Amino acid sequence: MLPGFTSLTSAWLLALLAPLIAFYFLKLKRPRVAIPSLVLWRQVLNDQRVNSPFQRFKRNILLFLQILVLLLLVLAAMQPFLRREAARARRLPVLIDVSASMGALDHPRGSARLDEVKRRLRERIDALLPDQEMCLVAFGKTARRLTPFTNNHRELREALDSLAVEDVPSDLEEALRLAQALGRSEPFDRVLLLSDGNIPSQANFELPFQIDFQKTDPAGSNFGIVAFNARRAPGGHWQVFVQLAGSTNAESTSGTLELRQQDKVIAHEDVALTRGSNPRLAFDLAGGPGALLEARLSLHDFDSLAADDAAWLTLPASRPLAVFVPEKMADYRHALAALEDVNVFPQSGGVSPAAFDLVITDREEDLVLPALVRCSVGIVPADARSLVTVESKNSQAIDWRRDSPLLQHVSLRDVVFMDQPVTRSGAYEDALAQLGYEVIAQGEHGPLMLEKHAGDTLNVSLLFHTDRSTLPYRVGFPIFVSNLVQAALLQSGLAEAEAPRTGVLTAEGFAPNAACTIEGPADYRRTVQADEQGRLSGVPAPRAGEYVMTSSGTPPRRIGVSLLSPSETSLAAVDQLQFNDQLTVTAATAPVKTDRTLWWGIALAAFLALLVEWWWFQRRVA
Amino acid sequence: MPELSQLTSLLTNRDLDRLARLRLKVSRRFTNRGRGEHLGVKGGTSTEFCDYRDYAPGDDVRFVDWNIFARIQRPYLKQFHQEEELHVALLIDASRSMLFEDKLPLARRFAAALGVLGLRGGEKVSAYALGGVSPDRLTPGRGRSAQGKLFAFLENIEGGGRTTIDRGIEDFLRRHSGRGAAVILSDFLTEGDLRRAFNLLHNAGLEIFAVQLLGPSELAPEIAGDLRFVDSETEAHLDISSAGDLLALYHEYRAAHEARLSALCAQRAGRFLSISSAEPFERVVFDVMRRRGWIM
Repeated sequence: MLPGFTSLTSAWLLALLAPLIAFYFLKLKRPRVAIPSLVLWRQVLNDQRVNSPFQRFKRNILLFLQILVLLLLVLAAMQPFLRREAARARRLPVLIDVSASMGALDHPRGSARLDEVKRRLRERIDALLPDQEMCLVAFGKTARRLTPFTNNHRELREALDSLAVEDVPSDLEEALRLAQALGRSEPFDRVLLLSDGNIPSQANFELPFQIDFQKTDPAGSNFGIVAFNARRAPGGHWQVFVQLAGSTNAESTSGTLELRQQDKVIAHEDVALTRGSNPRLAFDLAGGPGALLEARLSLHDFDSLAADDAAWLTLPASRPLAVFVPEKMADYRHALAALEDVNVFPQSGGVSPAAFDLVITDREEDLVLPALVRCSVGIVPADARSLVTVESKNSQAIDWRRDSPLLQHVSLRDVVFMDQPVTRSGAYEDALAQLGYEVIAQGEHGPLMLEKHAGDTLNVSLLFHTDRSTLPYRVGFPIFVSNLVQAALLQSGLAEAEAPRTGVLTAEGFAPNAACTIEGPADYRRTVQADEQGRLSGVPAPRAGEYVMTSSGTPPRRIGVSLLSPSETSLAAVDQLQFNDQLTVTAATAPVKTDRTLWWGIALAAFLALLVEWWWFQRRVA
Repeated sequence: MPELSQLTSLLTNRDLDRLARLRLKVSRRFTNRGRGEHLGVKGGTSTEFCDYRDYAPGDDVRFVDWNIFARIQRPYLKQFHQEEELHVALLIDASRSMLFEDKLPLARRFAAALGVLGLRGGEKVSAYALGGVSPDRLTPGRGRSAQGKLFAFLENIEGGGRTTIDRGIEDFLRRHSGRGAAVILSDFLTEGDLRRAFNLLHNAGLEIFAVQLLGPSELAPEIAGDLRFVDSETEAHLDISSAGDLLALYHEYRAAHEARLSALCAQRAGRFLSISSAEPFERVVFDVMRRRGWIM
């Protein structure tokens, strides 16, 4: 291990030896002491013992100490270091995993994985040499650069200290892409990846640099909630499902899962958990006004990760589906009458709602009614009329999307259509796709049925009129209507509910362009502006928990986001990363030995030499 | 009881009383031809027998020992000690180095005490301020009547001269006549040739009474570090590094210097005494000098 010097040019400071020696002899400030006679002192100074080499050294020990101090200071200024790595990286991006699993503890009252990574990285920052730069990148579901390439230890340490675990799954590719982008402006050869290993083992990425993958020690046993959703059940009830899972090293334990609503336990179940078990718990809840449910898992033994022990689910308010069908479309009304919790409008003597969940009409003027699902019958959408025309000819369905939810269990075989949609010459399916249409049923010369998602709205277009077809006489017709109702239920959120995951918050129903204040866990507070449709989007929600959105003119809205990541709950750590080019990177658990700087030790020695020099100068006869 | 007035600021009346009962003890009897209380060896008219010698024509026949002549028929002349007067010369070093740590005032007091011993013993006493800036000589005097002049001279000695002690002795000898004792009060810190000065004193028939006066800072200097010493007489300077480390060597050289001075005196039948200026005057005069046989 030969020492190197970071600042070899500082050696010119050795030239200061000349003025030091000159000043010592020329400008030595000696206290004047008047004595009766110099006779005896001259004899003393002429004594051979005084003039021996050792005594001469003793007489000039101050000078030698000052030279020693200067030499040590110059040596420290040259910034020597001990080379302890085969290759030194001048620029080193550090990818720090801050996903949920990094918050797992190794044992009760132990440290989180991220704290372990921080400790290792602090040592690395402290050992950073003046000609080395480091860039910190944190990644969870997304990656973000914490610092530019810098040698500023304080900046790096502050960025590191501010780093916190995010309750999101990890996505290494995001971090690698960001590192690749950094490398375009400031090239580097190596990237340091610090993680607990709970990242996808395969990455669709071609490595333009080397990766030093350092893995922390594994965390302790963990069980958590990996799924939380609800499905509408007959009778206005909700079937609530909670799925649990454990880590790969989980020890058998037991606990209780509670369902809470406004801090009140509305259901609970004791669970026995063993390694590899993934129990799925179901709860039957009565419907009613919308509610925010919290599922919380409490274990009797140590649980290393807290982020996955709670999940939140918003149950929508139970209500009948509002469907608009013109009165003359009796076949549809007849089919809808057989379905539960469906109110068909217009009703005689009834008041139609301002918005509908489903509109089924053969009149163009009804298509402007606000609705989540619109089904136009016998109408070619306005934007598709340049591509498709309808001729009065008999035709049949050639093919249809059997996996489409709208055509599930619906057979169009042998159905006769007296309207024949015809694609104009030169117009292909791609042109419809460019308009956002998806053909779900294809006729002989053109599409029979189109589906288009426009924002939150689903538009279904039957290019033929069902009254001029044999479809209403087929068993598939009521099924098709039922599928429409199911689509409307899904679109309106009345059919099922799924707990939103951490990452990004979405909400709607605010006043257009209204400022909305969002408060959440861990002192989260942010003010964002709704768009013109009154929707909030792209609001980061890195921590699991309840978020309260407040905006003037609307009541506060509570929404909960949850981790719900089987991979994060499993705490499974990969030992190797596989990349596109068959390159495999193996994880190392021991931290890489960094170059050791010596300047501070030498500066300390200089300080001690200075103290000795001071003591020697000041010492007095006792 | 009213306080009696002091005869001099140099000695208290009590010290004068005590000194009146003492005498300066000079071992060599080379004295002047004049009479004195000290006995000479070349023969004189005192009643104290000294020796016989052959009769020579012209000798006073009154001193022929007729009893011997009667027995052996040859004339022998009886010789007697000659009672000769002793000249006590007080040489006070008044150079600038004596101004340190009250060495000069102490030298004045010693000179006064020894002068009083001489005068009370009937000797002729003279005093010289060597290297001083004030009147440098007190003509010889004897008897109690000269005591006042002696005190006045000593009290008026001002230090600050630059003449070294060896040159001062040579100057003294040019003006001095008569044998006796030379009491030298100095720090003897000179680079001059003391051997030559002492030889001249000895050859002049003066018994050397050398009193070395050193201050506490010369006996046990408390110094350390890098210093610049400045000589009080020559203004020359000497740079010393790590002075604290050289103290042991300094003490060696100071002791050697004392030993050399003592040897110089002893080889010339003289006496040497080194004292600290911090020592009480009475202790030195009435204890140390008595025990050393300087006075009796």
